[in-house]
Amino acid sequence: MNVVVILETLRRHVTNGFYIAYLALIAIVALGASNFDKPASLWPTLIGALAIICGAGVIGPEFSSGTLQLVLVKPVNRAIYLLSRVAGVVLAVWIGAGVGAVCEIVGRLAWGRAAYAGIGLTLLNAMCDAILTVALLALLGSVTRAYFNVAIYFAVRFTFGVMPLIIGMLRSSRNDLGQFLKEYRDIDKVLDIVERNLFPDVLPRFDRNWTLMVLANAAVALLLACIAFRKREVPYGAD
Amino acid sequence: MIRARALRKSFGKHDVLRGIDLEVAPGEVVGLIGPNGAGKTTLMSCLLGFLTPNGGSIEIDGRANDALDVRRQSGFVPERMNFDRRATGWAFLRYMARLAGVPASEVDARSKAMLERLAISDASNRRLSQYSRGMLQRIGMCQALIHEPKYIFLDEPASGLDPNGVLLVRDLINEQKQRGAAVLLSSHQLSEVEKICDRVLFLSGGLIAREETLRHVDHIVVAITLLPGSYEDATVARIAGVSAREHVVIATVASERAIAELVRELAASGAGILDVRQHKADLESIFRGAQ
Repeated sequence: MNVVVILETLRRHVTNGFYIAYLALIAIVALGASNFDKPASLWPTLIGALAIICGAGVIGPEFSSGTLQLVLVKPVNRAIYLLSRVAGVVLAVWIGAGVGAVCEIVGRLAWGRAAYAGIGLTLLNAMCDAILTVALLALLGSVTRAYFNVAIYFAVRFTFGVMPLIIGMLRSSRNDLGQFLKEYRDIDKVLDIVERNLFPDVLPRFDRNWTLMVLANAAVALLLACIAFRKREVPYGAD
Repeated sequence: MIRARALRKSFGKHDVLRGIDLEVAPGEVVGLIGPNGAGKTTLMSCLLGFLTPNGGSIEIDGRANDALDVRRQSGFVPERMNFDRRATGWAFLRYMARLAGVPASEVDARSKAMLERLAISDASNRRLSQYSRGMLQRIGMCQALIHEPKYIFLDEPASGLDPNGVLLVRDLINEQKQRGAAVLLSSHQLSEVEKICDRVLFLSGGLIAREETLRHVDHIVVAITLLPGSYEDATVARIAGVSAREHVVIATVASERAIAELVRELAASGAGILDVRQHKADLESIFRGAQ
């Protein structure tokens, strides 16, 4: 990891007006949610969205803007640069998660609600989930330009969301595909497993298997991202 | 020494570089000029490791061009500086210096010195979004030279600069040359290339169509007007080294004696000679001849 890159990435986020406004939103929502019986409500969803927003800019836009060319002539290994960018973005998301958790705890103290138990675990899981989200966007960003990574991310997510519905409709048809889908019902399970691996729901409790799954998937995504990024051509300008 | 051998690069079926041989020695400034689409940027990108050539080899002091050791000693100024526009000039330069491997204890002093050298100290606390094109170009030079690189790649370094900036950049490049850096410069500003470079490579159609040494050699351009119908294109091309365009042969020769020799050979081939004019070669006339 390159500390200089991590700190620069973090600087770009914390000096961004949108990021600061978003943290304020997280704080307000977390303070509001502190009045609920169920701990850690609402704001973890905002952390998921923050991970997508910040992760979108990990590397893809740097291809398009030309920033990458300035960096790649410097003595920094490409894979280390990518991982450092990811680390900086993840740190920025973690700050948001920390703001959410702290504001909810402060709110609960103020309201006199002592149910803190789930907050820490939800925070931990949201932090793990942020790593996976940013890693996936880094992988997509390492093979695309600009913000196509986030478009593909949403397209895949949407596809997995509607796939059970489509498969159900196809299954009711009498053609060969319908028969095939009726015979192989495990397809639903496979799709569900893939979806839960790529886009897991943040749990309000500690689950070792869930944590390992999320971190392992993030590691695989980052490994693939590094391989793609090392080979990637970075053209600039035009003759 | 920056060295490329038989460098080829294609995009799909389009061959952009078709076998480039190039050398830039320490203490030498080499200019890269050519029409749009000639492959200048592609060549620069291959040398910098942004693009992977389809064939040929690149080595810098005997090492791969993407080796970290080489990059530690490389500086690059892109034609257009792009970076996080919210960063101040000072923050940007410090970041680039740290990435380039400048020791942490020297980063501030060197950044300050570079900003002063490029006459943008006053703007150091302003955001890059408030910089003019010329100021961005100046800070681009700062980031490229802050670690005193041995291999310097400049893409249109004087683009967008005011006259003072152009002179400043010219001085800076000369300083780099004096301290032994190998400089490859791509530019459309022929007069500037002429003033800075020791040697010029004319890129055309993915090949080095012509190479000219600008220092120490006096060239003469001669324009010989031929009588239409009195000559064969192939014969003229063989004798003069260039084809006649609209019945005028524009050739570059080293001496007046060579002009007489050229005219004599053309006349001996049967070509009717209507007019012979000579003038000292400047880069523009050489460029016109090379195209």
